[in-house]
Amino acid sequence: MSLTEIRPAPPGQPKHAPPPRAKFWLYRFDTKTVPYLLIAPFFLLFAIFGLFPIVFNAIVALRNWRLDEPDERGWAGFENFSRLLTDEDFWNALGNTFGIFVLSTIPQLLIALIIANLLNRKLRGTTWWRVGILLPYVTPVAASTLVFAMFFARDYGLANWFLSLVGFGNENPIDWRAAKWSSWIAIATMVNWKWIGYNALLYLSAMQSIPKDVYEASAVDGAGPWRQLWQITVPMIQPVILFTVVLSTIGGLQLFNEPMLFDENPASASGGSDGQFQTIAQLIYKVGWKDLNLGYAAAMSWALFLIILIVAAVNALATRRLGGDK
Amino acid sequence: MGRSVRRVAAVGLVAALAISGCSGQSLEGGNDDAAAGQVSLKINFWGDMGLDKLKAKYEAEHTNVKIVLNSGEYNAQHEDLQKKLVAGSGAPDISAVDEGFIVQFRSQADQFVNLVDKGASSYESKYLGWKWKASQSADGKQIGLGTDVGGLAMCYRTDLFKAAGLPTDRESVSKLWPTWDEFIATGQKYTKATGKKFVDSGTNLFNPVLAQQPVGFYDDQEALQMEGGPKVAFDTSMKAIEAGISANLASFQPNWDQGFKKDQFAALACPAWMLGHIQDTAPDQKGKWDIASIPGGGGNWGGSWWTIPKQGKNVDEAYKFVEWLIQPEQQIEVFKTVGNLPSQPALYKDPAVLDFKKEFFTNAPTGQIFAATAENLQPQYLGKKNGPTRVAVENVITRVQQGGLKPDAAWAEAVKAADKASKA
Amino acid sequence: MTSLVNRAPQETRGNWKTYAVLATFMILSAFPVYWMFVIATSTDEKVMGFPPTVIPGDQLLVNLSEVFGMQDVFFTASLINSVIVAGVVTLTTLFFCSLAGFAFAKLRFRYRNALMIIVILTLTVPNQLGVVALYILMSRLEWNGTLLAVIAPGLVSAFGVFYMRQFIGHAIPDELIEAARIDGALTLRIYWTVVLPAIRPALAVLGLLTFVATWNDFQWPLITLNGTDFPTSMVALSDLASGNYVIYRRVLAGAFAATVPLVILLLIGGRQIVRGIMEGALK
Repeated sequence: MSLTEIRPAPPGQPKHAPPPRAKFWLYRFDTKTVPYLLIAPFFLLFAIFGLFPIVFNAIVALRNWRLDEPDERGWAGFENFSRLLTDEDFWNALGNTFGIFVLSTIPQLLIALIIANLLNRKLRGTTWWRVGILLPYVTPVAASTLVFAMFFARDYGLANWFLSLVGFGNENPIDWRAAKWSSWIAIATMVNWKWIGYNALLYLSAMQSIPKDVYEASAVDGAGPWRQLWQITVPMIQPVILFTVVLSTIGGLQLFNEPMLFDENPASASGGSDGQFQTIAQLIYKVGWKDLNLGYAAAMSWALFLIILIVAAVNALATRRLGGDK
Repeated sequence: MGRSVRRVAAVGLVAALAISGCSGQSLEGGNDDAAAGQVSLKINFWGDMGLDKLKAKYEAEHTNVKIVLNSGEYNAQHEDLQKKLVAGSGAPDISAVDEGFIVQFRSQADQFVNLVDKGASSYESKYLGWKWKASQSADGKQIGLGTDVGGLAMCYRTDLFKAAGLPTDRESVSKLWPTWDEFIATGQKYTKATGKKFVDSGTNLFNPVLAQQPVGFYDDQEALQMEGGPKVAFDTSMKAIEAGISANLASFQPNWDQGFKKDQFAALACPAWMLGHIQDTAPDQKGKWDIASIPGGGGNWGGSWWTIPKQGKNVDEAYKFVEWLIQPEQQIEVFKTVGNLPSQPALYKDPAVLDFKKEFFTNAPTGQIFAATAENLQPQYLGKKNGPTRVAVENVITRVQQGGLKPDAAWAEAVKAADKASKA
Repeated sequence: MTSLVNRAPQETRGNWKTYAVLATFMILSAFPVYWMFVIATSTDEKVMGFPPTVIPGDQLLVNLSEVFGMQDVFFTASLINSVIVAGVVTLTTLFFCSLAGFAFAKLRFRYRNALMIIVILTLTVPNQLGVVALYILMSRLEWNGTLLAVIAPGLVSAFGVFYMRQFIGHAIPDELIEAARIDGALTLRIYWTVVLPAIRPALAVLGLLTFVATWNDFQWPLITLNGTDFPTSMVALSDLASGNYVIYRRVLAGAFAATVPLVILLLIGGRQIVRGIMEGALK
C-alpha cells in the first residue's frame, strides 16, 4: 500500500472525457458492487460473531449441553425452560437484579438531571466540569469495584467508619454483604457512581438544544429554577430521558461486574453466602462455567432477553406517561 | 491536513493485520521455546506449597526446564482444572488436586496420565496405604502421587492466651480441651477476659470436626449422609457461634487475613498445611504462635496429590519433575519451609522430620506433633461431589455468622443446600 | 425572586451554591479513584488503620513491583494484552465502521434502508444472549484462552456503523462527493481522499469510546481467558483479588496500574469523549 497513491488530486484538474468501454465496466462495478464490499466486512464479522451465536444459543437452549458430560447431548425440548420456572436460584437472582436495578436507576437518573441542570448554567471552566464528571465512566469497573469492595468491608471499611462518626453501628458494624438490603445498596452505589456523570452529559446536551425563547415564552410565570426544571426542561428533553431509561434498563438488567467482584471471593460467582446479591447475569455465568451446564445457561439468557424486552417497553411507556405525552 | 491521519490509519491497519496475521503463534501461546529443546512446565496449585526454592533448585539442575508456578484460589483451581479437562486443552502440565476433589477427578482417570505406566508402582509401598488408594481409579489407574496429609492440631497465640490469663505451654493448653465442648468453654473464658473473639470462624470448626468423623458427607456408595458426621460437625460450629466466641470471618478471604494481623482471634484449627498460611500471612507474629493437640482426637483435613493431565505436551518431563518432588529430600524441604506433612510414613521416623522444631511456632516440634496424628489416621471416604457440597454447607454457616439465619433453623437449610449441591 | 419573565437556564449565571454542589459531586466522583491511589501507596499497617487512612503513602513502587512480580497473575503481560486487544479492536472498528458508515450515508444501493434497520436492531440485543454460544464457537475454533477470542467479537460494532453514518451524513455535503466522482475518482479513492480527512473528529470520538469500552470489558474476557497465561488486565485484576492471599494494597496497586492509562486518555482526549457522548445523545 503506497501512501503517494492516495494523495488528493490537485484541484482545478481538467474534467475527464466520457469513459470508454473498459472504464464503463469499472464504473458499473464501482457503483453497483463496491457499496456492498464496503459494508461486507461489517456484516460478515457481525454474522459470525454476533448473529450466529444468538441463533445458535437458541439451539443450545433446547438441548442437553453439559461441559462435563459431553456424551449425554441430545434434544431436551423445553426442559431447560420449564426448569427455570421452579428454580429458586433463578427467581432469587431475578429479584436481586430488579432490586439493584431500581435502587440504581432512579437515583442515577434523578441526580444526573440535577447535575445537568447545574451544568447548563453559565459557568466558569465549562470543559473542566464536563471532563471531570467522566472520571467514573472511564475508570474500569473491575478496578472501581475492588475499591468499593474495600470501602464496604465489615471491619476497617470506610463506609462503616463514616457511619460510626454519626454514632451508627459502633457496636455492631454493618456486614454489607450479609443482607439483601445492604448489599443491594452497596452495589447500587457503585452503579450510580459510574453512570451519573455520563447520563448528566446526555441530559445536558439535550438541554442545550432547547431554544431560549421556550423559557421566556413559558406559561409558568416566575418559576424558580427547580420548578422550571420539572415543568419546562424535563418535558422538553423527554426523548433523551426515554433513551437513558431504556439504556439503563438494558445495562442494569445485565449487571455482572459489580456483584461479581463485590463478593468476598470473586471466584465463587455465588453473590454472597445465600445469593443475596447474585444477579441473573452472574447466575448465567455460574450455571454455565461453574456447574458446566451450558444448555441451561443458554435458556436462562433467553429468559433474560425476554425480560429485558418487556421491562424496557414498560419503562419506555411509563416514561412517556410521566412526561405527559398525549 | 488529512495526511497525518491517513498515515496513522495506514500504519495502524498494517499493524493490525500484522498482529492478527501472526497471532496463530504469538497470541495463542504454547511453547515457543520448544524448538530450542526448552520445556516449560506449568504447575497449578493454591496457597503456598513450598515450591519456590525447589523450583530454583530444579531449574539449576535441569537447565532445559522452566517451571511456572501458578498459585490460585482453592476452589477455583479445581473448577478450572475440570473445565480444561472437558475442553480438551488449556490444562496445566501438572496440577495439584486436594483430597476434597480427588474422587471427582479419579473418576475421570482417562484424562490423566496413568502414572503406573511411567513407573510409579515402585512408590506404592512408600505411601500410606489409603493415600495411595485414594488417587486410584476403579480400574487401577493411578492419577496422582501424594504430597502431603493434613493431620490435625490446634494453633494458638501464646501472647493473647497469656493476656487472657490462660496457660501458654502446649501441654497445659492441650489439657484445656480434650473435647470440643471444653474447647468452646475455654473460648468463652477467653472472650470474657479480653472482650475479643477466640476462633476465626464457624467453618474452621466445622471442617476439622467433620474430618474426625468416621463417615463424612458421603458413604462409600456415594449416598449423601447428612445425619451422621456432618450433623455432629455442624452442631459444634453452631454451638461456638452461639457462644459468641467466633470472629465470623470468611476463611481464606481478605478479611480473614486481616483478622490474623489485627489479633481478631487467638486459636485456629490447623492441619499441617495451615502452618505455611499462618507464617505467610502474619510474618511479624513469629514466636507468638504455638501448636497444641486438637480436641476430639485425630483426623485428616486436606492434603494433596500431584496429577499430570494427559493433554499436556510434555508429560514425560512433567513426570520427571513430580517424581523428583516426592523424593524424601524434597518432601522434607517442603515440610521445613511451609509445614506440609509428607504422606510417606518412613519420613515420620526420619530424624530430619522428627527432630525438627519450627521457630515461627515457638519451636514446636511440628514433626512429632503431626506425624503422631497421621499414623493413627482412619481416612474418610470423600464423594465425587464432596467439594461443592462442602462449599454449600460452609455458605450456610456463613449465613448464620452474618446474622441472616437463626442457628436453630440452620440445620434444615444445610441439609437442603447439601442435597442441592449433590445433584448439581 | 419572582420575575414575570422566565430566564433560560443557559442565561442564568451559576451562583456559589451551584459551584458548591458541583464541587461536592466532583469530589465524590473522584474519591474512589483517589482512594485507590492512597491504598496503592500504603503499607499494610496503614491500610488496616482505624480510622482509615486518606493520605497517600510512599509505597507505590514497592506495591507495584510486588504486583508485577507475581508470576501467576501475569500482570505485566496482561497490560500488554489489554493494549493489543483494545488497540486492534479500536483500529478495525474505526476502519470497518467508517467504510460501512460511508456506504450507508452516501452511496446508493439496493436494500440500503433494510440493511441499516438491521444494524440498528442489533444495537438493542443484549450481549448476554450470545455468550454461551460464542463460547462454544470459540471452542470449535480452538480460540478459547487466546486473545483472538476477545478480539474477534469486537472487530466491528453496530454502534460504530450507526455513529459513522450519522456523522458522515451531516459532515460531508453530497456535492463534494459528486465533484470527486466527476473527477473520475472511484469509490474507494473518495473514501480515502474525501471522507477520511473530513471525519477525523468522529474517528477520534469513536476511537476513544471504543478503546475505553474494550479496555474495561470484563465478563467475556473472564469467561474465555480466565485461568490462562493470557489474561487482559481486567481478568488479571480479578485474579489478583481472588487468590489465597489477598493483600489489599497489592490489589489496588494493580487496579491503579490498570486505571492510569484511561485517566491519561481522559486528560488528553476528554473534550472529544465529552463531545462524542453529547453528540450521541442528539441523534
